Amino acid sequence: MVEGHVTISNLEKVYESGGERTKAIDDLSLEVPSGEFLSVVGPSGCGKSTLLYLIAGFLDESAGTIAVDDVPIDGPGTDRGVVFQDYALFPWRTVMGNVTYGLEQKGVDKKERQDTAQKFINMMDLDGFEDKYPKELSGGMKQRVALARTLAYDPKILLMDEPFGALDQPLREALQDHLLDIWRDLEKTVIFITHDVEEAVYLSERVMIMTRHPGTKKTAVEIDVDRTQPREDIIMSDEYTAMKNDVWQSLREETKPQAQL
Amino acid sequence: MSYADFRLDGLEESVPEPVQRIAWFVFEWIPLAILVGVWELMSGTVVPSVVLPSPFEVGAAVWELLVTGDVLPHLQISLYRVGVGLALSIVVGVLLGVGMARSQPVENVFEVFLALIYPIPKAALVPLAILWLGVGTETAILIVFLACLLPIVLNSYNAAQDVDQNLIWSAQMMGMPSWKIPLKVVIPATFPSILTGIRQAIPIAFIALVSAELIASNEGVGFEILRYGEVGAYTLMFAVLVIISAAAFFAVRGYEWAERRLIRWT
Ligand SMILES: Nc1ncnc2c1ncn2[C@@H]1O[C@H](COP(=O)(O)OP(=O)(O)OP(=O)(O)O)[C@@H](O)[C@H]1O
Ligand SMILES: [Mg+2]
Repeated sequence: MVEGHVTISNLEKVYESGGERTKAIDDLSLEVPSGEFLSVVGPSGCGKSTLLYLIAGFLDESAGTIAVDDVPIDGPGTDRGVVFQDYALFPWRTVMGNVTYGLEQKGVDKKERQDTAQKFINMMDLDGFEDKYPKELSGGMKQRVALARTLAYDPKILLMDEPFGALDQPLREALQDHLLDIWRDLEKTVIFITHDVEEAVYLSERVMIMTRHPGTKKTAVEIDVDRTQPREDIIMSDEYTAMKNDVWQSLREETKPQAQL
Repeated sequence: MSYADFRLDGLEESVPEPVQRIAWFVFEWIPLAILVGVWELMSGTVVPSVVLPSPFEVGAAVWELLVTGDVLPHLQISLYRVGVGLALSIVVGVLLGVGMARSQPVENVFEVFLALIYPIPKAALVPLAILWLGVGTETAILIVFLACLLPIVLNSYNAAQDVDQNLIWSAQMMGMPSWKIPLKVVIPATFPSILTGIRQAIPIAFIALVSAELIASNEGVGFEILRYGEVGAYTLMFAVLVIISAAAFFAVRGYEWAERRLIRWT
């Protein structure tokens, strides 16, 4: 697999609203090889969402470049798919209608897009709910629909902004393992934002820690664990605990001065 | 959602369904029963029955008007005017509201215009409308249209401004070109508020209709009210009033019913 690598160089983002300038991202450079699972943690307001939406092409950078497979991005594109924390499902479409949306835009014919959508609906254990509307689903189900919707049009890069933040612990863990299976099977590059150190370390091959506002890359910690083991074995191991502590320490240095104010 | 959905909240568990329905029915019609009761008491006592005929006489007159069919052509033309005026205001109002919310130039152009017509009672525009369109259907439609425009513009404007940015981004990331976003994302996302705007516009449409027909028409329900009033047939005048009120009431109820039945996703 050679596709889906992201190169960010000297990225800067300044928000301008009502004459006020807020620098959200300051000189951030980052390389995400194709197929990597990278998590991003950082203090609240440090610019994690901003970074993700810049990569998605929803926002324009103020300086620097973002390239996918060495081609600078120009706005949103179907090579990248975002999963939002608040799901952002189309309320006027059924589960099936939401999951087929991207394929519809691509001009895939009806039979084929329904078959593809069905595959992802089944993968997310949503079979039987095809004709339900988003308001008829629980939060966990909505997030699975959102994931199926994004996977269905097959973007190379998954961009996830605290997608499990609103869910309770058991559901979150189940979806984390689900996501890991998908990542292994479908060979996607994943950039995953979270404020949960445990989640970041459990899921990713590498965790980037951002500095406090205005955010830039502080450091990155490689998480080298054998992911074929069950969850309990992974999280009980000493290496895992040590790596988690590294991330936690580094993040704490960024949040501490603020807490003392 | 209508207020019917949360009346007598909390009774659901303890009271069986049929009893609840009867209770709802009774509660709903109590105010009307009181009104009719007071009306009956006043008529012929405090107020001479010539100018305030008893509700039972009026009821009989309603029946007579309907059975003889005298009122039906007028009702028909009035409903036509309400329907066309309302339909026009929905089309124009939604486009204007969504356009103003999503495009600064469109907002700049129409803001002043809307701010100007906002405080004017629409009935005050009738003489002007007669000047342009003459006495008749076009004038009534114009007045209904103008009166209904505001609730529909305001509701769709506010909702279109508040459309979840993530919905728009979701559509864009899946390959929807920007020029399709207003039609394919903003309007559907605004739909529940558009329906609320229409719901608010229906009674306003009937008010505007009658005020236009009282002055600028040779037919229609408003004209009938005026005509019966001028010849002193107050019972019939009241009867026509009751008929148009009932029509407005059932229009709103029918609309709410259809909304609940047809749109599952809101
Ligand atoms: N539309 C905007 N206009 C102006 N400033 C903004 C805008 N969006 C974000 N900001 C500012 O940019 C900074 C980074 O915001 P961002 O939402 O990216 O942070 P975050 O790391 O995702 O925070 P959280 O963990 O709380 O989600 C913050 O200081 C925020 O106030
Ligand atoms: Mg955020």
